[in-house]
Amino acid sequence: MARASRRLAIDVAKHARALDEAMTSGIPLPQLSAGEAVTLVDAYRIQMALVEHRLNRQDERSGIKLGLTSRAKAAQMGIAEPIYGRLTDGMLIDDGGEITLSAYIQPRVEPEIAFLLKAPLGGPISVAQAMAAVEAIAPAIEVIDSRYRDFKFTLADVVADNCSAAGYLLGPWHRPDIDISNLGMVLEIDGRPVQIGSSAAILGHPARSLVQAARLAALAGDRIQAGYIVMAGSATAAEPLKVGAAVSLSVETIGRVGFRVAMDQQQQ
Amino acid sequence: MVDELAIAGLAERLRGAYDSGIPCPPVRGGLPTGDIAAAYAVQEANTRYWLGAGRRLVGRKIGLTSKAVQMQLGVDRPDFGMLFADMAIGDGEEIEIGAVLQPRIEAEVAFVLERPLLYERPTAADVIRAVSYAVPAIEVVGSRIAKWDINILDSIADNASSGLFVLGNERRAIDDFDGRLCGMTVENRGEPISVGAGAACLGHPLNALRWVAAEMVRRSRPLAAGDIVMSGALGPMVSAAPGEVYTARISGLGSVRAAFSRS
Repeated sequence: MARASRRLAIDVAKHARALDEAMTSGIPLPQLSAGEAVTLVDAYRIQMALVEHRLNRQDERSGIKLGLTSRAKAAQMGIAEPIYGRLTDGMLIDDGGEITLSAYIQPRVEPEIAFLLKAPLGGPISVAQAMAAVEAIAPAIEVIDSRYRDFKFTLADVVADNCSAAGYLLGPWHRPDIDISNLGMVLEIDGRPVQIGSSAAILGHPARSLVQAARLAALAGDRIQAGYIVMAGSATAAEPLKVGAAVSLSVETIGRVGFRVAMDQQQQ
Repeated sequence: MVDELAIAGLAERLRGAYDSGIPCPPVRGGLPTGDIAAAYAVQEANTRYWLGAGRRLVGRKIGLTSKAVQMQLGVDRPDFGMLFADMAIGDGEEIEIGAVLQPRIEAEVAFVLERPLLYERPTAADVIRAVSYAVPAIEVVGSRIAKWDINILDSIADNASSGLFVLGNERRAIDDFDGRLCGMTVENRGEPISVGAGAACLGHPLNALRWVAAEMVRRSRPLAAGDIVMSGALGPMVSAAPGEVYTARISGLGSVRAAFSRS
């Protein structure tokens, strides 16, 4: 029976709807792959349909994100390349702003570098070509949130779930003509360092994320446009968010970005 | 109080591991639980022995400076060890893989002093004034204790697990780099295998220098002009393998290499 079901086409719309409902209801799902074999191509089709739900609610596409850009993390999952997700402007959190935990299921934050593109990216390109398309860089924080129970998923599961994309923050833009290969990154919660790393953890150089993104766009059925934000991937392990936390990221040379988690009314 | 004979016996056990190349059992069993002073007495017994044998003291190393390592060993403070001239390796010079027992490496900021630090409570201003320059550095740590089965007492007694140190050749003033936010990466065959930043070392490498300066005054071996201080790891420690080259880069400070022989 397992054999027969593997030949059946995946119900893309059904899975996308289920993931969207998990996000809006806050009730996590079991893994998709628990029920049937989902390929990476299927997973990107589900992702596209999932993001379509957001676009239908007046969100606008704002960019892309890469996941699993740490070689160590990728090796743990037994994969050779990063994964690709889509950002919409509804995910943008203001620098200095506030979020409520109840808007998420199990949110975590990751310290990142963001690129602002002034030209489209696609196909096989060099790091030099990729950087030529960059208008500016910024310290950035990504809020990730899995729509699967306990953050447990396979590669296909997480791709279908738009790579756990939930929110992102951008600090002030900085000109891109500096060496970004090894910028120290310190993520603080309530003023104390909780994750310390370097931009070198992002594929050895964050600009390599742009090269990977350009290559992965076709597989993901996407086009990377001028004006897009590219979240390059996390420089450290993700940090869980707690009620009342003040979250701040400092990146060497380029600056700071941060936000607060609102106090929970019931706990006050 | 632990008697001097017991201290001397534990110090000799550690020297035996150096001489034979065979790691020894932990020394903590011979010391009262949590007796930091007794552990430093073991280290000091060996320091005196080595100085008597003609080794030249050129600086100190600070260990256990990261929160992660402190939690791993269940301690809330760093430790220190002695650096001798014969432990110094040049940038990229081949290191005999057998020269250090159970070698591991970590990337650090090394400070070189131009003034002694003689206050028991030095301020940040005292410390900044005492530093001549900084260089990127790799510490090759090792343990004379079998399988790195160490607690804080073993670490202290065993000269803070020191082995060799590699200093970069390009010096920088301390205002030429961001001590708290400087990025650090150790690459092996083009892959980053350890990454971090200045804040991983007690919040700032100069905090570590301030700590060891105070500690050395209290323990009557104050830091002198010309001393080298290996201030502590900026990221996770990684094992060193035969034939491999490890390149440490610290943003604003430059790079330095540790190259190990094949056999």
